[in-house]
Amino acid sequence: MSDDPNKVWPTGLTIAESEELHKQIIDGTRIFGLIAVFAHILAYIYSPWLH
Amino acid sequence: MNRVSRKVMMAWIGMGTRFLPFADAATIDMPLSRLLRLSLFQVSVGMALVLLVGTLNRVMIVELDVPASLVGVMISLPLLFAPFRAVIGFRSDNHRSHLGWKRAPYIFRGAMLQFGGLAIMPFALLVLSGGGNATSAPAWVGDFGAGVAFLLVGAGLHITQTVGLALATDLSPPESHPNVVGLMYVMLLAGMILSAMLFGAFLADFSPGRLIQVIQASAVLTLVLNTCALWKQERRVSGLMSQPQHSKPEFRIAWSQFIQGGHALRRLIAVGFGTMAFSMEDVLLEPYGGQVLHLSVGDTTKLTATLAIGGLFGFGLASRVLSRGADPFRMACYGALVGIPAFAAVILSNPMQSTLLFAIGTAGIGFGAGLFGHGTLTATMNLAPRNQAGLALGAWGAVQASAAGVAIALGGILRDIVAAYTNSATPNDATGYDFVYSVEIILLFITLITMLPLIRRVSGQAIREG
Repeated sequence: MSDDPNKVWPTGLTIAESEELHKQIIDGTRIFGLIAVFAHILAYIYSPWLH
Repeated sequence: MNRVSRKVMMAWIGMGTRFLPFADAATIDMPLSRLLRLSLFQVSVGMALVLLVGTLNRVMIVELDVPASLVGVMISLPLLFAPFRAVIGFRSDNHRSHLGWKRAPYIFRGAMLQFGGLAIMPFALLVLSGGGNATSAPAWVGDFGAGVAFLLVGAGLHITQTVGLALATDLSPPESHPNVVGLMYVMLLAGMILSAMLFGAFLADFSPGRLIQVIQASAVLTLVLNTCALWKQERRVSGLMSQPQHSKPEFRIAWSQFIQGGHALRRLIAVGFGTMAFSMEDVLLEPYGGQVLHLSVGDTTKLTATLAIGGLFGFGLASRVLSRGADPFRMACYGALVGIPAFAAVILSNPMQSTLLFAIGTAGIGFGAGLFGHGTLTATMNLAPRNQAGLALGAWGAVQASAAGVAIALGGILRDIVAAYTNSATPNDATGYDFVYSVEIILLFITLITMLPLIRRVSGQAIREG
């Protein structure tokens, strides 16, 4: 990737690459959040806050 | 893009590749330690499989009093996803990304889905069983929740396994494929055995709280194992985005291309029949040992161990022989040839009332299944066109997982039907079991007939595309 004109300082990660990485992280967080909400709803149905 | 996102992005850039899961470029050889680490994804798949098919099956029926028919539906839900493995593999083959990744994003998402499914699973099951306050909620909530949980875990494990195997194919040179396959199978088996024992131990004194702890621990373990497996493994291909994309790659076209090369269809049919032949007895061996040969519960669980040990020997032998350059289809045929007398031994153990014969037959089935599975997977890896590794392994996985799932269900159904027709008054009647074992022997013969042309035509390196 060294010949990429968009190369950003010494780490070798370009803007486009870091954007994509960021998208993965955001997607992961969204899935994570949705699942957490769903799990909480189910837990609440089972027992309004587990004792 | 908002300001926070931009800041975080700059942080990624600042970190560079050292603290991010990128492999250093141009590592051609694959040391064993790295391969072992990659195979951890199989451990997580094995864990999920045991949890779905074994542990939760029992927990739902015995501890949670869920109707057996509903349990059956839930457990077969992940199977719905098996045929899509070919599509997943295809999509990962043609994944376009700036980072130059094809496999890593899919393994990450697969792990995420499996994690999510396991995270909501315990609550979904508790609601499904109508415990606690759940009776005040409408019944469909429990069904829906459990259905979503099982689907998520199924989707996750199929995606992870398909793309993980494709990654293993990419990373290893063809001559070491037999060893990679052996390692993958052994790790799957190890994951299944280890987690079955751990689940059993932790759930021994059952309580809803304990169920939540155990399943959520396995969810966390899924993420940990897959992250360890994936870390700095995949080589990044530069310039994936700079290549002009003429048209969106279509699955149909790629599939028809794939199916024409190297007798792919015949290979898949052989995998399907062979897997069915070696899977139908899966849930029947233990009750057969108990009802017909009057073994104790402890002895019948030893059967499962015997089967697994037979399988391990099969994988070991196949790895050894195939890494010396033997024909994997010949190996798969040997597997089927071992299976035929093994099933015959199991059938004969009843009239002869010989536990020893039964044990030998069981070990033989495991051994034959090991040789067969290893042979067909190695052949799939070796013959996969270089740009279609994901599709080839996806197709293999789709056929293999579907055939196994259908066969296990079919085995139980066939036994019940035949037992009902023969109207057996005595409970230790073996007719139903013998019928299933005979069907398996016939299926093995069909497999052999399908595979024989492959041995002669696909010899050595003659047909290697890519």
